[in-house]
Amino acid sequence: MAAGAASASVEGAGTGGQAAPGLGERGARRSRWTGALAGACGILIAAATAEIVLDGALAHSPLIPKSPQIAGWLVGVGERLGFRVFLIALLVFTGAYAILLELVRRAGAGAISKRYAIALVAVPQAIVFAGPILLSTDVFSYIAYARMGVLHGVNPYLHGPITISGDPVFRYVGTNWLHVATAYGPLYTLISYPFAWLGVTGALWGMKAMALAASAGTLALTWRCARVRRLDPAFALLAVGANPLYVIYTLGGAHNDLLMLLAMMAAVSLWLSGRDAAAGATVVAGALVKASVAVLLPFMVIARRRWQPILGALGALAVLGVAGYAAFGASGLNVIAALNRDAAFVSSDSFPNEIAHLFDKPGVFPVDHDVLKLALVVILVHLLWRTWRGYDWVAASGWALLAISVTSTWLLAWYIVWSLPLAVVVRDRRLLVATLFVQALFIVHQLAPLLAPVS
Amino acid sequence: MTRALDMRSVRLIETTVLVLAGLLLAVATVYDLALNARVNHRLVADLRTWRTYTGHDYHNLTVDRQLLGTSSAHEVVCGNTTPGPPEARTQLCLVIYGPVVGGRRGVHGGWYTTAYGHDERASRYGCFGAGAQGRCPAATATPVDVRPAPRSG
Repeated sequence: MAAGAASASVEGAGTGGQAAPGLGERGARRSRWTGALAGACGILIAAATAEIVLDGALAHSPLIPKSPQIAGWLVGVGERLGFRVFLIALLVFTGAYAILLELVRRAGAGAISKRYAIALVAVPQAIVFAGPILLSTDVFSYIAYARMGVLHGVNPYLHGPITISGDPVFRYVGTNWLHVATAYGPLYTLISYPFAWLGVTGALWGMKAMALAASAGTLALTWRCARVRRLDPAFALLAVGANPLYVIYTLGGAHNDLLMLLAMMAAVSLWLSGRDAAAGATVVAGALVKASVAVLLPFMVIARRRWQPILGALGALAVLGVAGYAAFGASGLNVIAALNRDAAFVSSDSFPNEIAHLFDKPGVFPVDHDVLKLALVVILVHLLWRTWRGYDWVAASGWALLAISVTSTWLLAWYIVWSLPLAVVVRDRRLLVATLFVQALFIVHQLAPLLAPVS
Repeated sequence: MTRALDMRSVRLIETTVLVLAGLLLAVATVYDLALNARVNHRLVADLRTWRTYTGHDYHNLTVDRQLLGTSSAHEVVCGNTTPGPPEARTQLCLVIYGPVVGGRRGVHGGWYTTAYGHDERASRYGCFGAGAQGRCPAATATPVDVRPAPRSG
């Protein structure tokens, strides 16, 4: 992916059609520059990704979870991945991403061809796919829950992976989650069940392939939604598909959030096509993968003020709910209990925890959880009122997802990616700015090892 | 017209609230980053202090920031007394605090714990130094001459 190829693939160079020859020439030159600079950013993004993946392939790093050796063919090229190298690569990635977005935004729609934009997002994603699992043990929990249900006859909604301590996947599950039953929806658990028969390594590749496919689907739908709404689809594609938290953290960890995002964007796409019932049903399907996406439904209903989304949602809930109940019993449908349990956790990266430190408190207390829930309710009510008064429901949904992640005491990198695909298909640019700002703060918060290296 | 005006006012208020919230998040993030950097700096010094004090270049050491109070900047660092897997041998725990000087901090006492004792009170014995007073189950804390951390090595 060289800069030379980049300029060749640029299309619509300043094509105003009726533009004066001089202006057209200037436009063409500017567009060539845009293509070349975008190519350079793409190379930096690919190089930073490759650095993380190649060094990560060696394992023995606090940033790489204990895992079966799935990237052995990459071993020997890199060195052990330390915090310093990882953070520098992450900063390079983020800087190149920011410049890339600004370039494409300034150049305007059509400055970057579809094929070229796809190449810019496909390369880093392919590199991540080829490498080891990055930064999270969650994928091993997914596999453990599947193996519990399929191979051991244990209900993953009642027990944690500790019940299968003799299983080969057990040693890879994160220690914090050994006693914890699954918090994911029954649809996701059913989807993951076939992977149990593939062995741990096969399941790992299966999960990675599913994450990559879900990412590709999400990006295709994001492109479509942006085009339908007469926004620049190339910008939308790059803003999501080349996002560092999306590529390194979410895809790198093969997180099931990508399936949730796929359902979310499918729902928006269906709604834009006027298929309200199908859109409502798809939101429910997404919520039965990961519950957070359910927040879209009330906004969707209020926006149209029709029964179709509700009927679609109820239909999907009936079908998928019965399937979930048949497979897991009532515990499989008790999403609220799982959400409440997770809401009580505290991660060091969460904003409430940082604010507590700012006010000289050691951390978040139970009363703070109540205050945060109240704040979230106030925000959601305001957004519902705004949607009722005509505000774009897709934007309101994006704000709601962003508010959920910012007020959560359990914040992980892939949670602040949720609002991003919605932010690039709405006209209210504040949502995109806010989402990227929150992401930037998350990255800044990771930088402590650069300022005071850990041994 | 009035409705459009109302919505413009709402948007203005929303934007103001967003900017203020963003400022709060930014300040909190930068503050926490600085806090984490200071803690990292201190913990690196703690590990170096334990290795220098014991003469063991072990890497599987545990640092407890909570036992003596998270905000006190007093830490307890534990490690094996002889080579072996983490916590598989008798542990020597040192109470460490004070400023970082020459990459190390002061040792103000300590105790031993049994293997896999997880530094629980019942597993401790042989408390020594002022920093360890009242930390062992019996009244075994005896003020001893605590060696200052050597300056070399």
